[in-house]
Amino acid sequence: MAGGSVSECKEYLFKVLVIGELGVGKTSIIKRYVHQLFSQHYRATIGVDFALKVINWDSKTLVRLQLWDIAGQERFGNMTRVYYKEAVGAFVVFDVTRGSTFEAVSKWKHDLDSKVKLANGSPIPSVLLANKCDQKKDTSNSTSLMDNFCRETGFLGWFETSAKDNINVDEASRFLVENILANDKGLPYEETNGDRIKLHQETVAAESKSGCC
Amino acid sequence: MASEHLPSEFDVVILGTGLVESVVAAACSRVGQRVLHLDRRSYYAGKWASFTLNGLLSWIDEQNTTLASEEQSKDWSALLEEGEDLIGLSTRDVSPVTNLQVFNYTRSPCLLVARSPCLLVARSPCLLVARSPCLLVARSPCLLVARSPCLLVARYQLLRECFCFSEEEVEEEEVEEEVEEEGQDQTPARETEQEEKRRKRLSYAELLKEGRRFNIDLVSKLLYSRGALIDLLIKSNVSRYAEFKNVTRILTCRHGNIEQVPCSRSDVFSSRLLSVVEKRMLMRFLTSCLDQDTPLLYQDFAQRPYLEFLQHHKLSENLQHFLLHSISMATPDTPTATALTATRHFLQCLGRYGNTPFLFPLYGLGEIPQCFCRMCAVFGGIYCLRHSVQAVVVDKSSNRCKAVIDSQGQRISCSHVVLEEGCFTQNATPTRWVSRAVLITDGSVLPSEAEQQVSIVTIPSESPVRLVELCPSSMTCIPGTHLVHLTCQSLGSAFQDLSPVVTRLFQTADSDHHDQRPGVLWCFYFNMSEGLGSEVSELPSNLFVCPGPDGSLGHDHAIAQAELIFQKILPDEDFCPPAPNPEDVLYPGEEPGTGPSHQGEEPQTSPSHQGEEPETSPSPQGEEPQTSPTHQGEEPETSPSHQGEEPETSPSLQGAEPETSPSLQGAEPETSPSHQGKEPETSPSLQGEEPETSPSLQGAEPEKIPVQPENGTQG
Repeated sequence: MAGGSVSECKEYLFKVLVIGELGVGKTSIIKRYVHQLFSQHYRATIGVDFALKVINWDSKTLVRLQLWDIAGQERFGNMTRVYYKEAVGAFVVFDVTRGSTFEAVSKWKHDLDSKVKLANGSPIPSVLLANKCDQKKDTSNSTSLMDNFCRETGFLGWFETSAKDNINVDEASRFLVENILANDKGLPYEETNGDRIKLHQETVAAESKSGCC
Repeated sequence: MASEHLPSEFDVVILGTGLVESVVAAACSRVGQRVLHLDRRSYYAGKWASFTLNGLLSWIDEQNTTLASEEQSKDWSALLEEGEDLIGLSTRDVSPVTNLQVFNYTRSPCLLVARSPCLLVARSPCLLVARSPCLLVARSPCLLVARSPCLLVARYQLLRECFCFSEEEVEEEEVEEEVEEEGQDQTPARETEQEEKRRKRLSYAELLKEGRRFNIDLVSKLLYSRGALIDLLIKSNVSRYAEFKNVTRILTCRHGNIEQVPCSRSDVFSSRLLSVVEKRMLMRFLTSCLDQDTPLLYQDFAQRPYLEFLQHHKLSENLQHFLLHSISMATPDTPTATALTATRHFLQCLGRYGNTPFLFPLYGLGEIPQCFCRMCAVFGGIYCLRHSVQAVVVDKSSNRCKAVIDSQGQRISCSHVVLEEGCFTQNATPTRWVSRAVLITDGSVLPSEAEQQVSIVTIPSESPVRLVELCPSSMTCIPGTHLVHLTCQSLGSAFQDLSPVVTRLFQTADSDHHDQRPGVLWCFYFNMSEGLGSEVSELPSNLFVCPGPDGSLGHDHAIAQAELIFQKILPDEDFCPPAPNPEDVLYPGEEPGTGPSHQGEEPQTSPSHQGEEPETSPSPQGEEPQTSPTHQGEEPETSPSHQGEEPETSPSLQGAEPETSPSLQGAEPETSPSHQGKEPETSPSLQGEEPETSPSLQGAEPEKIPVQPENGTQG
């Protein structure tokens, strides 16, 4: 599918979760990253499942990133397994202007680790995003604190991001994908998925026969 | 995560996340209703749930303990207004699961902490910590720590090597040498040694350690490839959340042996169990079943037993067995008309995805309700587990629900209430029961070259037993094991109904055969109620009760019920119209033609970039609420993205189809090489089905988002 040099180009499809408290900017980050958009107006996310970002990682690698938003409505923390299953990476987002959203980070991380694991049983790589850094008031340098926090809670790292000013969104994503690719080496993706069936919409014509039940 | 209060107004409040409730939730949310979807449990899907092994063990514990806890209903009258009344709901499951029994046959040294009654047959040194009545049959030195009455049965010499620490009475029993046991120990034939080696690989501790990789369903069903559920998944696009495996074999148990049932044309002609005459006879019979004019042929038999009909057609005993037990899945006295309808459905389902009629969802059946829940959430439904409805507020004069009182005592107004079955304690009594057994085994009932098989086995019996055997690639069990589900209509307890079959087909400690049959590592019996008697006669007209899982193999009943409820709630709305594909959602500010995503699809168009476009520099967009997805067309963008998507998935689907033909052609050259082994001349209906599958993949895509008829907004 990648032009003529199909054999040389490796394609990956990665499902990445974006989680965090209500209103921390999960959807904004996704939209900034995938659609290059930002909206001041907050609305709970409706009708959008995930966004697809295609990355030409290098000349031999094409990465399709599926960014799964938690439907804002799952805010009570009861996501379905459908949401978590087969995810290979995650962003946990908090809002630097609201301390309570940071306090919830470890809960989200814990929930994440309990619900999804890599094939080898280890937790999926996750990156912490300190979003809305454009609105940050105190400039107290908490870098080492954050580094420590990440080490303790098992994040690969953290980024100060702003969906509004487009700060660090691409960088954070690149960082996560690097780690996913490193993990993915040698995972027998194709082998196990060979006989899986996806259902598709068909031409529903001539469907009259199935009326017997 | 946050424990904020729920909004106090919804259109539809739904309690229970079983399949029917979840379909109703998705359908309502999809057309814009504000849905609150609750479940009193801590997990999704209720009786349709699947559990990890560890999750199942705790669930079993809960079933054994929760019966004791009875909450007294509180007085909510303060929340009532003039002219209102309350209907109190039960706060616990009144459609219980009973007769739970767990057996552990792992042979390696193990530590078992038993919180529910269990039987442990120990052939290696074991430590059993029992908090419930247990029976320990020890063939090796064991240590039993008991907090409940237990019985320890040990061979004479071993009793001295077993130790009991008990807080309650423990009966110790000496058993003289069991001859057969000795016999087994003394026959170290090479075969059995190999067997032993193979089986020693997994201990109970290992099962538990890998427990999260099991997905064990409470309900055992399959999806008919042309059944209502598959159609609904496809129609609604909920299918995007699920993947499936073909059931690869239809097996049956005959004269104590497991045999493969020939059902598709290719099977029929490659079957070694049938003579050439039988093959012809069977094909002729199956073909005539599909013929719309068949009723004329069996009119005299319509209400007479199917077996008589088969005998009348002079079908051999072989064929009678296959047709009766495996294809129509009937009993000998099922009326012919019913059995033929089932046969026809079976045949029509062949070949859509593979050469059996059935699919099984990866990660277990419990995925399916959750797929619908996700769809509901994506369209705004609010989800809350461990949250219940205590009472329904009814307006006396109109006898309609106005609100519910939730488990935190909050009054939530709504215009419709949908409840899972068993919410009314008063007179809900299970009318029918299903007997279930779940086994973790160390091999397949019919080993074959292709290791990853999903099989359904029909076992004739007074109450016919259905056995579904799942392989690790179905993502329900770990490598080296199979997960086996047995189901039948209850005559007695699940153990009484099913353990004879288990002992016959597998090796357990109770089996007296020591051959190649797969061994049972762990097994669990239980009875589950199937449908409740009439609960409350006069329900408010806007309150609906959803049925739980029935004992049948398919899902047609559940889906029909869900659609019925939806139509009563929203008579004028479409039931589960297709959800837009994520790539097709158009955000305000995005220009359809130059939308950023389309380049990303084709590497060559944007070689240098990370797939994203500089040209669509963010115009000061976004003033409009970004939410309402205008998801039609955007032609230029959809088509490339689809092309990008399809190739990953279509091979598997298409791959499933051609598989059938080679065997057919190899087997019987006389058959016309038309694919999928359907009779070309006589069964036009079978034929007609084939072409529609493969071309649809490509053909249907571009036009698959006719969600809202607002054409041309993108221009």
